[in-house]
Amino acid sequence: MLTEFGKIFIFILLAVVFVPLIVYVAKFIRPARPTKEKLKIYECGENPEGSPWIKFNIRFYVIALIFLIFDVEVVLLFPWALTYQDFGFYGFMVGIIFLLILGLGMAYEWRKGDLEWERPKPIPPILDDEPPAENEELKEESLTI
Amino acid sequence: MNYENLYSSLSLIQPEITISVFLLLIVVADLIFDKNKALIPFLALAGLIIASVQVILQVTNTGYAFPFSDVYLSRKGMVTVDAFGAFFKLIIIISSFILVYFSYVSDEIKKSEKNLGEYYALIFGMILGMFFLSSASDLILIYVALELLSLSSYVLAGFSKLRTRNSEASLKYLIYGATSSGLMLFGISIFYGLSGTTNLYEINTFLASHQINHLTLSFASILIFAGIGYKISSVPFHFWTPDVYEGAPISITAYLSVASKAAGFALLVRFIKSAFVTSDDSLGYWEILSVFDWHSLLILVSILTMTLGNLTALWQNNIKRMLAYSSIAHAGYMLLGVAVLSNQGLVAVLIYFFFYLFMNLGAFFIVMLIANKTGSEEIDDYNGLGYTSPFLGVALTLFMVALIGLPPTAGFIGKLYLFIALVDAQMITVAIIALLNTVIALYYYIRVLKHMFLTKSTVETQTVSVIRPNIIFIIFMLAPVLIFGVYFGPVVDFAKRCVQILGL
Repeated sequence: MLTEFGKIFIFILLAVVFVPLIVYVAKFIRPARPTKEKLKIYECGENPEGSPWIKFNIRFYVIALIFLIFDVEVVLLFPWALTYQDFGFYGFMVGIIFLLILGLGMAYEWRKGDLEWERPKPIPPILDDEPPAENEELKEESLTI
Repeated sequence: MNYENLYSSLSLIQPEITISVFLLLIVVADLIFDKNKALIPFLALAGLIIASVQVILQVTNTGYAFPFSDVYLSRKGMVTVDAFGAFFKLIIIISSFILVYFSYVSDEIKKSEKNLGEYYALIFGMILGMFFLSSASDLILIYVALELLSLSSYVLAGFSKLRTRNSEASLKYLIYGATSSGLMLFGISIFYGLSGTTNLYEINTFLASHQINHLTLSFASILIFAGIGYKISSVPFHFWTPDVYEGAPISITAYLSVASKAAGFALLVRFIKSAFVTSDDSLGYWEILSVFDWHSLLILVSILTMTLGNLTALWQNNIKRMLAYSSIAHAGYMLLGVAVLSNQGLVAVLIYFFFYLFMNLGAFFIVMLIANKTGSEEIDDYNGLGYTSPFLGVALTLFMVALIGLPPTAGFIGKLYLFIALVDAQMITVAIIALLNTVIALYYYIRVLKHMFLTKSTVETQTVSVIRPNIIFIIFMLAPVLIFGVYFGPVVDFAKRCVQILGL
């Protein structure tokens, strides 16, 4: 008879076997067309070497935020899924309303175009108080970097 | 387990539900009618009207929502719905109505009309946070509501994006806010560590029956006061106020100076009364637990707040900055009312807040009308304005006189009740300091009037013409300031009715 820890051991064993197996199987199935960018360690189009003080594309943060929201959603849904039967219809509706509000947030992002990577070039706001002319040189310099 | 009380709790938080529903409706309307934003302000108004009816019903329909009857012995819950909370919710609702009209007129908001949906959705987020702040009786809920309020207002402070000052205001607000809410969270964790509960009533019974380390408790109380003090901009935590008030759009500045301050005061009073006060004595003075000396802390902070606010306001040349320091000073006066720690002092705070709402928002509205036309908020540019636009000049004069606290305006009645409460509580020295502060305040308010009526302008003064709806609105704001200055009985009676905080 298996103990509780025995089950966990089987899980660990499965995990250890499963991952190399999938990677190996995938190697046979997928087409292999390597490019220079694809072979880099961090394959999101970012250069993994050099100074860390570079501007990241702001879209990374948007994607990270969206991910975070839905990550938290899953965490909140686990306890709900365990206990909603005790609450009955009322508890079920609470979860549904929560999901609907999150869905609305998703619809909002979609509609506002935040899920598309290639967006039309945003028009920068015209500042009422432009910095004075002597800063012009400084501005140019920061742009060339 | 019994979940029946969850159903009944929902009927107690109707205004909050209405506000949440309309928040979602505004977002949906923004998504569907992408091109036409004219609908959104009216949707916001509809939500506010329904919520205001529900809030008025809350004055009599009181109770505890979301009680943990199984976990704790008492049946007191996370949300306490009572007349005291309803009074502050009413103040928040009235200023929200005014804010909707403010935003409708404001040039700054018109320039970013594309984002109007976000603007009203965030305002409703603020209202929701403030509603929960004024009735929450659980430290976790208090923290969540405070963050909801803060996060929405950070974004709104930098809303218009047309000036670099806007983003500066938003960033400064965020940094100060993050620090103070971190301090508050630390205080909450110490409270939980000491008493093993986050419910204010449970903390009260625990503190009354157990021996605890006074030093630790004082430390935790001061940390929580840091979080609240940041919202009401009392002195050691006031540094964000002038920069944010100057940089943010005027409509948001005006709203921050009244509504979010109201929520902060509601929270402060409820926190002290629910967690530290055991009972009222026959004269209405609160029997406070001796574990922490709130009386001295509040007196010290309020004297510092009003003195620093008034003295710094003397040197300001930007009228928004001046009004920011004046709002710090007013927070100091109102803190004195809380420091009396009696029902009489609380009545004074409620009356003061009700009048402060109209005079402060009125002053900001006229500043906005002038800025719409001249594009300037410097006091020097007000030279000669009293003659070219007499209506605005006279109206601003009346609001300023009310802010000083001179009769026959409502500001005088507010200060009168405050000083009576102080004298009745034998706090003569403090009352004299507050009086001297009022005299200092006279100078900087009158200085604006001097520029408007007595200083000759070197350049041609622009005429600020006022369209009829704005005239009606200004008269609507002036009426309470003048009428309640002579006929203030109903407000006092209503405040006395609303002073009862549930849970003793």
